Amino acid sequence: MSYAYRIGVAFLLLTLPVLAQTAQPDDQETIRTLVQQVKELQQKVAALEGKQDPTTTSTSPAKQELAPQQEKQSDTSAQESLFQEIHEVRGIQWRGFGEMNYKVLNQRQPELGSFGFVPGSAGNFYTGDFDLFLTSKITDKASMLAEVVIGEGDAQSFDVDLERVLFRYDYNEHFRLSMGRYHTGVGYYNATFHSGKWLQTTADRPLIMEFANDGGLLPTQAVGVSVTGTIPSGVLGLNYTAEYGSSDTIRPNLDGVGDFTDENNGNHINVGLFARPTIVPGLQVGGSVYHDRISNFELGPSVRLGQTIVNAHVVYNGHGVEWLNEGFLLRNAYEEGGPVYNMPAFYSQFSKRFGKTRPFFRYQYVNTNANSIYHDDVLLRHGPSFGARYDFTDAVAFKTQLDHTIRKGKPDLNGLQMQVAFAF
Amino acid sequence: MKVKTPALILIFILLVRWIPVASAQGGSIAVVVNPQNSLSTIQMAELRRVLVGEKRYWTGGATVKLFTRKAGTPEHNAMLKVMGMSEAEYKQYWTSRIYQGEAQTEPVALPSNGMQREALTAYPGAIALIDSADVKPGMKVLKLDGKLPGEDGYPLQ
Repeated sequence: MSYAYRIGVAFLLLTLPVLAQTAQPDDQETIRTLVQQVKELQQKVAALEGKQDPTTTSTSPAKQELAPQQEKQSDTSAQESLFQEIHEVRGIQWRGFGEMNYKVLNQRQPELGSFGFVPGSAGNFYTGDFDLFLTSKITDKASMLAEVVIGEGDAQSFDVDLERVLFRYDYNEHFRLSMGRYHTGVGYYNATFHSGKWLQTTADRPLIMEFANDGGLLPTQAVGVSVTGTIPSGVLGLNYTAEYGSSDTIRPNLDGVGDFTDENNGNHINVGLFARPTIVPGLQVGGSVYHDRISNFELGPSVRLGQTIVNAHVVYNGHGVEWLNEGFLLRNAYEEGGPVYNMPAFYSQFSKRFGKTRPFFRYQYVNTNANSIYHDDVLLRHGPSFGARYDFTDAVAFKTQLDHTIRKGKPDLNGLQMQVAFAF
Repeated sequence: MKVKTPALILIFILLVRWIPVASAQGGSIAVVVNPQNSLSTIQMAELRRVLVGEKRYWTGGATVKLFTRKAGTPEHNAMLKVMGMSEAEYKQYWTSRIYQGEAQTEPVALPSNGMQREALTAYPGAIALIDSADVKPGMKVLKLDGKLPGEDGYPLQ
């Protein structure tokens, strides 16, 4: 019984698809009609193609031989244009960086630029800098870039700043020319990280490298000409920077109280040299010398000071390690004789990536002279910062940072910063 | 016997899954350029300079055009190894380069070796890393530190 049952089931399974696939007379008629319609359509397409390009319908043997060659050439040029389309960036390219911050201090007074802090409140939210960055390739060697930052000031006021606008011309690896407004090469940090917080490991810049309009001490921006390039030097990997332009350092006091200090700068010259030795990938060792003439209008319109800023840096960036070390000597000297103010500063920052988390530690030191009218609000400040950066995605990072700053003549300052920084 | 059959099937499945991975990891990664490029050998330090975008022009003036494969491919992993970066660091690095005005865009990641070959043909200054098994006519293989792929001591095994 069981054997007969199995044979019956097998027979049904084999015959059912065959039965299902057997076409009825009506279906056969439909298929014939469809085939006829397809043939007609093919004839119409061939006739249309013949009208568009007579060479394709030509029966001349010579033309028939030429056709595949033309087709091949056409394919090659199409591939080239396809890859040029893919690889060459045309038109204006927009990118951006944004941030959202919460900062709380153990004092009810702002510190390091107002950033939305209102006196009377110890902790506040602020958006910091909203950074729009655009580039455009003009030719293979010429390009332009611009960076527009919408920054937050006191009491949620916002201002627009053209941080950078540069026309660049790359003659070759040894000579690259830029003209416009640039971030000066007064320090490694200023020339590397610019305004986008997402690019930085820490939530803020070191005090000595803070932008002047946020209370920083150095001329971080200028309008002029900059030339950079490599110097043939084998394993040393030498590079140079030379800048000539006008900076105009106007900085608020660190506590946000009082007038802005305007250094009324003249034209500066900045020369830098650094090595990226090929035997230690990721290492950069170098320095720069910046010189300018600034004015002290409080003492008279003709009183001028020579301002010299010497920088030395050792930086390693590779295998998940970031180690930044920069030292500065800021020297202001009256030209007609008088006091000379030498003001040292340095910072050292170390971080190591563990998966998506990058804990960091930074120690910074700034010591300005109380008699220097440009920096008498800063004086001696030093202390550690530590925290961590966590990258949620390739473009969104969360940072938290604790700061302890020892200040001469003032109570120690403790701060907590939390920041979401993103690129888009 | 009944106990061994599922085990054999499992081993077979594992082998089938393992074999392509092993072959992909076992091949050398070749450094290839456009045939018009006069270069025939490159040092590892120089290759790194090319990959990180510090070397922008070849001897003769042609602009360096770097083509990569997509993340996760052996070629892309070999590139990250030479650069000493993770994938996230690589992305951040190129964003930073663009932001510094040092690059127009990050290297184009092509989805296939075939497209990479076409790119090498289209650009005189093109350079790419490719599995040595996929090297085809139209690609000029460079010696790396004086050695060709497959030779003892070749750095990108």
